[in-house]
Amino acid sequence: MVGTAVATARPGQRSPLLKPGTGTLVRAGVAAALLLFALFGLPQLLSLYYIDSMTQVAVWSMAALGLGVLVGRVGLVSLGQVAVLAIGAWVAARLLFATSQPYPLVLLEAGLITMLIGTLIGLPALRLRGLYLALITLMLAGAITVVLATANFPNGGHGFFGYNGSLVNIPPIRRPGVAGSDPAYFRYAVVVAAVMFLLVLVHIRTRPGRAWAAIRQSEPSALAAGINTWFYKLWALALASFITGVAGGVLAGADHYLYSIDFPTYYSITLLAVVLMGGAYSLWGAIVAGLLWQLLPSVLQTWGVSADWLTILFGVGVLQVLTTAPAGLADQVPKDLARLGRLLRRLARRGAPARVARGG
Amino acid sequence: MVGKRKHTSGARWIITAVAVAGALVAAGCGSSGGTSTTPSSTSGTKAPSTAAVSTSQCGTKAGATATGTPIPLGVIVTNQPGTSFTDISNMAAAYFACVNANGGIKGHPIKYYIETEQTNPAQIAADAKQLVQTDHVVGIVGNTSIIECSIDSSYWQKLGYDIIDSGIAPECWSTPNSAAVNMGPRYSSDGAVQYALSQHVSKIVFDQSNVPGTGYIAAGPAALAGAAHVPITQLTENVPISDADSVAIKEVDDAGPNGAVILNFTPPEALVILQAAQKLGLEDRVKLWGCSTPCDTDFLATSLGPKWNSKLFVNAELTPADGTNTHTMNLYRAILAQYGKAVSGGIGSFSQFGFVEAEVAVKALETITGPYTVASVSAAFKAVTNFDTGMLCQKWTYGNYSLHIPNNEDYTVTPDNGKMVTAQGCTQISSVDPQIKAYRNVAGVATADPTAG
Amino acid sequence: MPSWQDFQPFIVSGLALGGVYALSGVGMVVLYQATGVVYLAFGAVGAMGALIAWSLINDAHAPGWVGWLVCVAFSAVVTLGYGMVFGRALAKRDPLIKAVATLGLTLVLFGLMDLLWTTSGGESRAITLPTDGGGFTIGQVQVDWTQVIGLGAGIVITVVTGAFLRYTKLGTAMRAMANDREITATLGVPVRRVEAAAWLGCGVLAGVAGVLLADLVALDATTLTFLVISSLAAALIARLRSITLTFAAAILIGLVHDLLTPITSLTNYRDMTPFVLAAVALLVLSRSRVLSRSREEM
Repeated sequence: MVGTAVATARPGQRSPLLKPGTGTLVRAGVAAALLLFALFGLPQLLSLYYIDSMTQVAVWSMAALGLGVLVGRVGLVSLGQVAVLAIGAWVAARLLFATSQPYPLVLLEAGLITMLIGTLIGLPALRLRGLYLALITLMLAGAITVVLATANFPNGGHGFFGYNGSLVNIPPIRRPGVAGSDPAYFRYAVVVAAVMFLLVLVHIRTRPGRAWAAIRQSEPSALAAGINTWFYKLWALALASFITGVAGGVLAGADHYLYSIDFPTYYSITLLAVVLMGGAYSLWGAIVAGLLWQLLPSVLQTWGVSADWLTILFGVGVLQVLTTAPAGLADQVPKDLARLGRLLRRLARRGAPARVARGG
Repeated sequence: MVGKRKHTSGARWIITAVAVAGALVAAGCGSSGGTSTTPSSTSGTKAPSTAAVSTSQCGTKAGATATGTPIPLGVIVTNQPGTSFTDISNMAAAYFACVNANGGIKGHPIKYYIETEQTNPAQIAADAKQLVQTDHVVGIVGNTSIIECSIDSSYWQKLGYDIIDSGIAPECWSTPNSAAVNMGPRYSSDGAVQYALSQHVSKIVFDQSNVPGTGYIAAGPAALAGAAHVPITQLTENVPISDADSVAIKEVDDAGPNGAVILNFTPPEALVILQAAQKLGLEDRVKLWGCSTPCDTDFLATSLGPKWNSKLFVNAELTPADGTNTHTMNLYRAILAQYGKAVSGGIGSFSQFGFVEAEVAVKALETITGPYTVASVSAAFKAVTNFDTGMLCQKWTYGNYSLHIPNNEDYTVTPDNGKMVTAQGCTQISSVDPQIKAYRNVAGVATADPTAG
Repeated sequence: MPSWQDFQPFIVSGLALGGVYALSGVGMVVLYQATGVVYLAFGAVGAMGALIAWSLINDAHAPGWVGWLVCVAFSAVVTLGYGMVFGRALAKRDPLIKAVATLGLTLVLFGLMDLLWTTSGGESRAITLPTDGGGFTIGQVQVDWTQVIGLGAGIVITVVTGAFLRYTKLGTAMRAMANDREITATLGVPVRRVEAAAWLGCGVLAGVAGVLLADLVALDATTLTFLVISSLAAALIARLRSITLTFAAAILIGLVHDLLTPITSLTNYRDMTPFVLAAVALLVLSRSRVLSRSREEM
C-alpha cells in the first residue's frame, strides 16, 4: 500500500491533478453547482435569520476543514482547534481596528500569523503520538483560553491588546466595503470558504496528500519508504492553522463583536465531535460538520427545542461514529443511499417483494 | 481500523437508548422538584399568598378572552449551561397570557416571541433579524442577555425600536433606545460600594467575574471610591471559580481589618466565595462584605448562616418577594401561580423583573389609540413617565433621552438568620458616577429627592 | 512581592486544591492502566451523581448519606455500563479512539445535566458536608476541616489504590492487563471480569470525587465536568503511568496555582498553571521519539 503511494511519484508521470477522470468531473460539477446555488440561490430563498446562520456554517466549515486535514488525512487529533480559531479572530480584529487595509489582505495576514503561531506552538507537540498529542493540544488550548480571557479581544482600544474595558459604546468590527450587508457578507464568506476547500483539494491531489496518506497508514513504513514524516506533519499543521486563521478572520467580520466567552475550551471537543460525525476524511464532511454545528441549532431554536438536545446528539453521534461508521456521515450516507438504490433496482427488476439483500 | 460491527450495533444502540431513557427517568424523579427550589424559599416552598387579588386585575376586562389581531412582541434572553434568564421572559409571557385572558389590549391579544441565545454574537444578531423580519414584532420587551445590548443596539436604533429590557451590557444604559428596569452590574455595584463608604471603611476591594464589560462596571466603584478618597483595588476572577478558597483569602488580605470586600458575581459564584470565606473563618477579618443585587436571595441568606448577620450587605432593588402584601406583589404571585408554570425558579428577582417589564409594556400599549406599529409602540414606551411599578424604589420613566438609567435608587439588605432584612432604605445612587450624573442632567432629575422606603 | 506571611494561607488552600485534582487524576490513571481508556467523562459522571444527590437531599428530603450513596452508585452504574457496552466495542482500538469516545459520553451527560437541572431562576445549588464550618489554626493560618478532607481524600485514595494494585490479586491482574492484554488473557486471567472490576472501581471513585468536589469546589455542571481537564494535567505529568506521581503532580499544580494568587502581575494567569505544567512536562521533559503504537509509549 505504501509502495504504491510512493511509486506514483515517478518522475515524468503527470500528477493526477492534471488528468481528471469522469468521477472527478462529475464531483466537480456537483460542487460547482452547489456553490453557485449557495451564492445566488440561498440569499433569495432564506430569511436573514438563516442567512446569518449559513454565514456561521461557512466559517465553521472552514474550521472543520482544518481539523479534518489533521484528523482525517494525517491522523493527528487536535483538541484545541477552537483556540486556534480564536487566535485568528483576534489577529484579524486587531488588524481591522488598527489599520485600514483591504479585507482580503487582513484575512491573508490573519491566516499567515495564525499559521506561524500554530506551527510554533504545535512544533514541539509533533514529537508526541496519538493520545498524548491529542491531550497536549487540549492542554495548550486551555492555556490559550486563559490568556484570551485576560487579554480580551480587541474592541477598538489602543495599545498592543487593543482593548479598552471602560467603553460604554463598543465599535463594531468592520466588514469589507463590498460586503457590508448580511447576504453580501454571506456570499463573501462562501467564496473564501471555497478558496480554502480548493487549497486543501490541491494539497490532497499532489505530493503532500500522498505523503499524508502514507503516514496515516503507518508512520514507520512511511519513514522506511523515505518520506520525511516530520516535515509533512508540520505542513499539515501549518495548513490547518492557516485555514483556521482565515476562518477566524471571517468570523470577526461576521460577528462584529468578539468575546472570549465565545471560545470556551470545550468547544474544541464539540468541534471534534461534529467533524467525526460529518466525516473527517471527506471534504464534504467538513460542510456537514458546519451544518450540524451552526444550522441545526438555529432550526431547533425556531422549533422551540433546547440546544441541550443537540449536545446530547453530538455525544451520541461521536459514540456511533467511532463504533460503527468511522468514516462519518459523509461517507456513510452515500453508501446507505447506494445500498438503498440497489435494493430499489432489484425490486423494480423483479416486480415482486425481493429477498432481503444480504450484506451490501 | 475500519471495522463493521453491524450485527451487534443494533443491540448496542438499544442498550444506549434504554440507558439514556433510564437516566432521564431516574433524574427526572429526583429533580422534578429541583426546579421548584427557588432562590428565596429553601425553607419549604411558600404557598402563594391566597389571592386577595384575582389575576383578572392584570387586564381591563375580566374574563374576556382577547380575539382581535395579535400584537407581536419579541424578546431575546440568554439560555446556556450555567446562565439562564428564561424565567424573565417566561414570567413576562405569563403576564401577557393573563392580559390576553382578561380583555387583551383593547381586545387585541399579545403574541410574545421568545428567542434564546448562547452568548454567540452572530446568533444574537440573527435572533434580532428573526424577530423583526419573520415575526414582524412591533416592540421588544424583556431582553436579558450578557451581550445583546452591545450587539443589537445599532440595529434597534436604525429600525426605530425603543426597547424595555433588564440589561447587563453597557449599551443597555448608554444608548437612546434602551431603558432597563434593573440597575445592572455597574450601578448595583455602585450601591454596594456606596453603602460600604457610608460605614467609613478605609479600603475597598472590588472583585467581579471576568465577563464582558468589566472595565465599564469597575469605573463606577472607582469613581465613588476616588471621590471619597478611599483606596480601591480592582480584581477579576475567571468564572466558573474552581478555587474559591484562594479568592476569598486574596480579597480579605487586600482589604485589611478596616476594609470592605465588594463582590459582583452571579449568585452561584458569589455563594461559592462567601461560603469559602465562612469555612475559613474569614468573615470577620474585614469590616464588612458587600454584594451587588444578584446576591439578594433568601437562598443565599439561608446558605450562609448567622455569622453573616449584619456583616454582608447586599444591594437590592426589588421589593422582597415573600411576605410583602401589597396589591402588586399579590397580583405577581397570583399570575405566577396561575400562568407561570414555565417559570422554573418560581418567586424571585428574575420573575419579578419579567413582571415589571410586562407591566410597563402593557400599561404603555393601552395608551395607543391608532394602529400598533413600531413607531406607535416605541412612542408609547417612551411616553411612560413616573410609572409606579409597585416593585422598585422609585417611579420608572422611559423618556426621550440619549441615555437611560431610570432605576437609579436602591436599598440595602443584610441576612438575618436565614432571611434578608432591610439595613438601609431606598437611597439614590450617587451622582459621583459620571454616567449617573449624565443621566440626571438629561432627565432633569433633582438629586436631593426624598424617597419612599 | 508579597511576604512569606502573605503566602502562608495559600499553601494550605493550595494543598487542598491539589488534593481535589488528585481525586480525579488518580481515578483516571487507574482505569487507563487497566483498560487503556482515558476516562474523560470522569467529571461529568461525578457531577451528575452529585446533582442527583442534591435533588434527593433537597427535594425528597433524604438524609445526606443516602444522597451520597446514590451518587456513588449512579456513577458506578453509568461507568460500568459504558465500559461493558462501548469499552468492549472499542477494546481493540487505539487509546486515542477510546479517549475520544469517552468525550461522547461527556457531551451526553453534559447536555442532560443542563436540561434537567436548569439555572433559569438564578438558582444556586450547594452540597454541604457535616465537616463544613469547623477547623483549627496552624500558626497564623486557619485550616478548615473540609480542606483537610480535600487533601486527605487525595492521599487516602492514592495510598489505597496503590496498595490495591500492588498487593491484591485483582490489582495485579489489572497491572498485567495494562502491560499486555493479550498475553494476560492467554495466562488464564479472566480479562473481562478484571476489566469490569476496573470500570466499576473507577465509577465508584468518580462518585466519591463528585460529592467531594461538589462541596469543595462548586455544585455546577460546567465546572465539575471540565475540572477533569485540570486533573488530566496531573495525570499527564505522570505519563498516565504512576499513581504516586499523579498525586505529587496534582499537589504541585494546586500549590503553584494558589501561590500565584497574591502576586498581582500573575494572578489573572494562574488558571493556566495545570496546562502550562503539563505542556512543559510532556514537551520539555520527554526526549524520546518512540514510534510504536503500544500503550507503553512515552
